[in-house]
Amino acid sequence: MATLDQKSPNVLLQSLCCRITGKSEAEVAHQFQYAVRVIGSNYAPTIERDEFLVSEKIKKELLKQRREADAALFSELHRKLQTQGVLKHRWSVLYLLLSLSEDPRKPSSRVGNYGALFAQALPRDAHSTPFYCTRPQSLALGYGERSAGLSASVGTSGISSLGVYTLNGPTPTPQSLLAGQPPQSAAGGGQPLGSRLAWALPVSSSPSSALAPPTARPPLGPPVPATRVIRPRRDGDPAGEVSEAALVRDILYVFQGIDGKFIKMNAQDNCYKIDSKVVLCKSLRDTSSRLAELGWLHNKVRKYTDARSLDRAFGLVGQSFCASLHQELKEYYRLLSVLHSQLQVEDDQGVNMCTESSLTLRRLLVWMYDPKVRLKTLAALVDFCQGRKGGELASAVHAYGKTGDPQMRALVQHILSLVSHPILNFLYRWIYDGELEDTYHEFFVASDPNVKTDRLWHDKYSLRKSMIPSFITMDQARKVLLIGKSINFLHQVCHDRTPPGKITPASKSADTPKDAAELLSDLEGAFQEKIDAAYFDTSKYLLDVLNRNYLLLEHLQAMRRYLLLGQGDFIRHLMDLLKPELARPATTLYQHNLTGILETAVRATNAQFDNAEILKRLDVRLLEVSPGDTGWDVFSLDYHVDGPIATVFTRECMGHYLRVFNFLWRAKRMEYTLTDIWKGQMCNAKLLKTMPELSGVLHQCHILASEMVHFIHQMQYYITFEVLECSWDELWNKVQQAQDLDHIIAAHDVFLDTIISRCLLDNNSRSLLNQLRAIFDQIIEFQSAQDSLYRSALEELTLRLQYEEKKQQREEEGQWGVTAEQEAEEKKRIQEFQETIPKMRSQLRILTHFYQSIVQQFLVLLMTSSDESLRFLSFRLDFNEHYRAREPRLRASLGATRGRRMSNI
Amino acid sequence: MASAANANVNAVRETMDVLLEISRLLNTGLDMESLSICVRLCEQGINPEALSAVIKELRKASESLKASENCTN
Repeated sequence: MATLDQKSPNVLLQSLCCRITGKSEAEVAHQFQYAVRVIGSNYAPTIERDEFLVSEKIKKELLKQRREADAALFSELHRKLQTQGVLKHRWSVLYLLLSLSEDPRKPSSRVGNYGALFAQALPRDAHSTPFYCTRPQSLALGYGERSAGLSASVGTSGISSLGVYTLNGPTPTPQSLLAGQPPQSAAGGGQPLGSRLAWALPVSSSPSSALAPPTARPPLGPPVPATRVIRPRRDGDPAGEVSEAALVRDILYVFQGIDGKFIKMNAQDNCYKIDSKVVLCKSLRDTSSRLAELGWLHNKVRKYTDARSLDRAFGLVGQSFCASLHQELKEYYRLLSVLHSQLQVEDDQGVNMCTESSLTLRRLLVWMYDPKVRLKTLAALVDFCQGRKGGELASAVHAYGKTGDPQMRALVQHILSLVSHPILNFLYRWIYDGELEDTYHEFFVASDPNVKTDRLWHDKYSLRKSMIPSFITMDQARKVLLIGKSINFLHQVCHDRTPPGKITPASKSADTPKDAAELLSDLEGAFQEKIDAAYFDTSKYLLDVLNRNYLLLEHLQAMRRYLLLGQGDFIRHLMDLLKPELARPATTLYQHNLTGILETAVRATNAQFDNAEILKRLDVRLLEVSPGDTGWDVFSLDYHVDGPIATVFTRECMGHYLRVFNFLWRAKRMEYTLTDIWKGQMCNAKLLKTMPELSGVLHQCHILASEMVHFIHQMQYYITFEVLECSWDELWNKVQQAQDLDHIIAAHDVFLDTIISRCLLDNNSRSLLNQLRAIFDQIIEFQSAQDSLYRSALEELTLRLQYEEKKQQREEEGQWGVTAEQEAEEKKRIQEFQETIPKMRSQLRILTHFYQSIVQQFLVLLMTSSDESLRFLSFRLDFNEHYRAREPRLRASLGATRGRRMSNI
Repeated sequence: MASAANANVNAVRETMDVLLEISRLLNTGLDMESLSICVRLCEQGINPEALSAVIKELRKASESLKASENCTN
């Protein structure tokens, strides 16, 4: 029975029809015709001809139904089948069986599931009439069939010309297949259409007269002019008018940017234009030019991606932008291919009725509306992004996301998530590993490879302002820069090899664009949190390392104690020890001698209890010697900084420190000198009482000295308490609260700046400083003047005492106390000495006068100073208005300031 | 020669048995005769997708016919 003989497919089909419907051959004629048509149309199989795939599908199906045993059984049967090798088209048979298979658990899927079938139909059916519901054969097979039965409903859409089916039209219905059949169709008017209608209609309207098609036609259907051609749609009119179908075909090519037969790219106007020679009614012309815009938009996007995707220097961000554009284009192509295949199906079937299912320009216009809007956005985006790359590109895309249209926003968001993905990857690499792999300079952190490690913190990394994507705030960008910088600083400068994971846990990077998209949608929340956490952890770790391993705070305090003379006993002792050395000319000083003295001073004072690490760095430094300098002018303490702490104590900082030290050292020396002066006065006061002629001069000395002492004390008070201590307290508070190294550096810089300006070392107070220097010089001069005075006085005193002693000695020996000659000599010497006294006096008076005038000038400058603490200093210096009484300018300015004060109040 | 033909017939029968079994497993609802017709059609290179569509359609048509007849009765 089952010999695989070569019977004609028609015979087989007919017997199949009989078999399945259980009716005689005559009765199934319509079904058979239908079957022949479907088979004959032979539309391209949508599946691959692969036996393995089909068998796998079957197994999957069985497993889905939880029939594992059956699946095993099937694979065995399948293997048997393979070994027998009788069948040539095994996959075909298997596929047939698979597509006929039904889940036994669903009682009946054969009836009542038309609704589901409708749901699967193409979306274009959505707008069609509800007539479908009544149709039994809703298969997505031949569109022609389906719509043929419903030509009645065409009127509702009112688009195309009447549904025309012609016998003499080019129908590929295989007439040969019908040859062996009894002319059943003759009964139905001899039209395949009629018979199909008849076949379709029994269920919907006339069940009893299933085989009487002409009478069964629905009343609402317009009479089909079966024999008359209204307009052959496929072929051109004899009059030369282009048919709509041809235009549709053309348009589909234009959609892909390919010139069609009638619609061509016009290079001059840069748009697609219909050939002006083509005869065409206006509405079609308009519609097709509107559709042709898509082609232009497509070309624009395409040109951009083609040009860019090969450009390596365009960078990763640009590449992902191109990729996202490609993705969108692919979607677009997919749509086009669906349209093409529909066109193909229509052609294949040869049923070119104009029904609601066939392609028309108007339908295309509706369907292509959304793609057009999308393409428009893409094209605008492409225009806007021209010439941008990296973060700039992401900013541009982000700017386009700010639209009220949710669809556009979704589109741009999708592109943005792809575009920002590489940026976020850079970012995570940077903040978690401190690595910068930015070959194309797209990231907003830039690194300068020329900068050496000692300037790493300050100069190596910087922000590329233009590359900061607009969805990242400046503040976040700065933090990001800081995090990575800290990690690099730890690695390269501190040589800290802690794995990055330990510093900041939970370093999950954005692995997929989806993650990036999520992150983008929550920029204020999760992203900010992530950056903050990384920032906090990394900075804290860095500060810990600096404080613990590199004693940053101790060094800071050491600066204060040594370079800013905070350690009083040490400085005093050092000065004591250095005094003889420093009084010598600068050229005779040797560094090693001074270093030895420094060590002695350290050992003798509380400084010895300081950290060895700090004392090791303390050193002596001799400034450049200019002719005439004494040791005092060139001596300076120094503090060596290197490694990580040099980042805080930079070269400029140390320069500032040295300047401040010099100033403080000088002021300290004045204090020291005045102490010496006072000591001299106290010691010599008693001795010189015996020389009444000196008392005037000495008195003058005392007055000047106390004037100077008062001045210097007030100055020292100002420097110590109002400048150093205040600034130091501020600095210390800030350092304790600092969250990252930059805060400390900034606080330290502020501290130094304040000290420099308050100590009159900046440019603005140069004149004040000059006056102060002059005052200091006067003090030194006064010291030498007083020294010489005392020297000559004491010399005189000893000579007189010797004279008296000699006289007494001789008297004891019984001789004459003094000879006249000796007496005369003595008198003469005293005379000479007394003659020098007025000279000393005048010298002192000049000194005093000079000193006072300088102080007065200094006070005037102080009064006019903008700094309030300096004005207060002037009050303290002239508390009893001694200078004010002498200096009219002082009075004027004082009054002026007071007047101004009053007016301010 | 005869034995070769016989063997061929045997192989064909076995094949059909196997296919029937698979058909049963998959619950296609085809009997031996319809199956053999289908197999023959497939062997002639007919698109199985179209064939299955035809069969389903035929079934639906006959069922709906039956149903409508029932209604009228």
